[in-house]
This record gives sequence, C-alpha cells and structure tokens, in this order.
Amino acid sequence: MRYAILLMGAPYSDQASHSALRFARAVLARGHQLETVFFYHDGVYNAARLAAPPQDEPHLVDGWITLNAEHGVALQVCIAAALRRGLMDEREASRHGKSGYSVEAPFELTGLGQLVDLGLNCDRLVTFAS
Amino acid sequence: MKLHIVNRAPDAGRAVEQALSAMTAEDRLLLIEDGVQGALPSQVDGFADIEGRLYALRDDLEARGLMGRHDERVKVVDVDGFVTLTEQAERTLSWY
Repeated sequence: MRYAILLMGAPYSDQASHSALRFARAVLARGHQLETVFFYHDGVYNAARLAAPPQDEPHLVDGWITLNAEHGVALQVCIAAALRRGLMDEREASRHGKSGYSVEAPFELTGLGQLVDLGLNCDRLVTFAS
Repeated sequence: MKLHIVNRAPDAGRAVEQALSAMTAEDRLLLIEDGVQGALPSQVDGFADIEGRLYALRDDLEARGLMGRHDERVKVVDVDGFVTLTEQAERTLSWY
C-alpha cells in the first residue's frame, strides 16, 4: 500500500515526532511504500538542519534523512508554516534578505496543496500531532 | 471500518470523548502515547461501548511502566500491529 504521514508535533517537545518516525519505520518494514512525510504546524521544526541534540538521544532530523536516503521517502515541509517559524532554505532566505538558512535537501518546502494531494492519492494518511 | 487513534489520557481534554462520539459500530480505537492510560482497569469502563474494539500500543504501555497493569479487555498490539490495524481500516482518524 501507499502510505503518507502527516506530522504536526515539534521534535523533543512531546512524543509525536518519535511516534511518527517509529510508525514510518514499521510501515517500511512491512513492505509498504511510504511516499511522503508532510511536516506541518510545529512539525516543521523536524526539518531544522542545525538541530544538534545530545549524542545519547535520538537524532530525529537525521532519522528522517535516513528514511529519504534508504527508502526514497519525500520530506515535504509546509512553506507557510516554516517561513513564519524561521525555517527556510537558501532560496527563500535570499528572497527574504536573510544571511543564513535553516532547511536543506532532502527536506523540501512545499505548499499545502501537496497535503491535499497526499490525502487524495495515497491509500493511507496517518496523522501524528501534539 | 475506520481506525481512530487517540494520544491523550481520558482526563486530558476531550480527545477520548470526541473519538468515541465519532465512532460507528465497526470502528476500532487505538490508544497510543499518553492515551494508553485509558487501558488501565480504573479507566477502561469509559470504553464499555466499544468492548472488543479497543487496542493499546505495547511500546507506549511499556514506556510508562503500565505493561501488565492494563485491563484484560484491551487488546495490546506492537508497532507492527499498529500498521496492520491501518491496513485493515479504510482510513484513520487521529484525535489529540
């Protein structure tokens, strides 16, 4: 089956991001296709490229990147939710006159229309929120 | 059949109440995260209407020291079982 995950919880604030990553791995282990993880609301902080958690804690950002590298899972970040929280890629940073950037590939900034598309075209869309 | 997923304890907000009111006769309910507190014998009566269709996630019971303390009417599933429940349901709804 084709799965997608909607994640709306901030990393390390509560369990939502951990639950979503755990579920994502289980979906793949059962042989399903995980098309996309869509990061929305505070979930966009999962895309922060400067995240540096203590080494003895799970690195959520790297966890998502590994899913992309090993299984081709798209990591889509709602651009409207991201920009207002200071999360932007190099292109958006340049457009807004910012000197640094906080999101990079494989995370991609995208619109809410992509989420609608996932709801319509995937067999299962599972939400994890705070 | 739809799978409802609740991550809030019964006494935290209205997630449980809302999920139960939205459920139809075949729907199932899975308790995850703090929601697994609903599987305790002192809480489970609140789910009497859906007996046999109430599930709780093993990892989250274990993480809270509640494995073995849950009511026997609650079906315990691991993460693999969580995925299976989503396979069997036509769609999932999360309450939080």
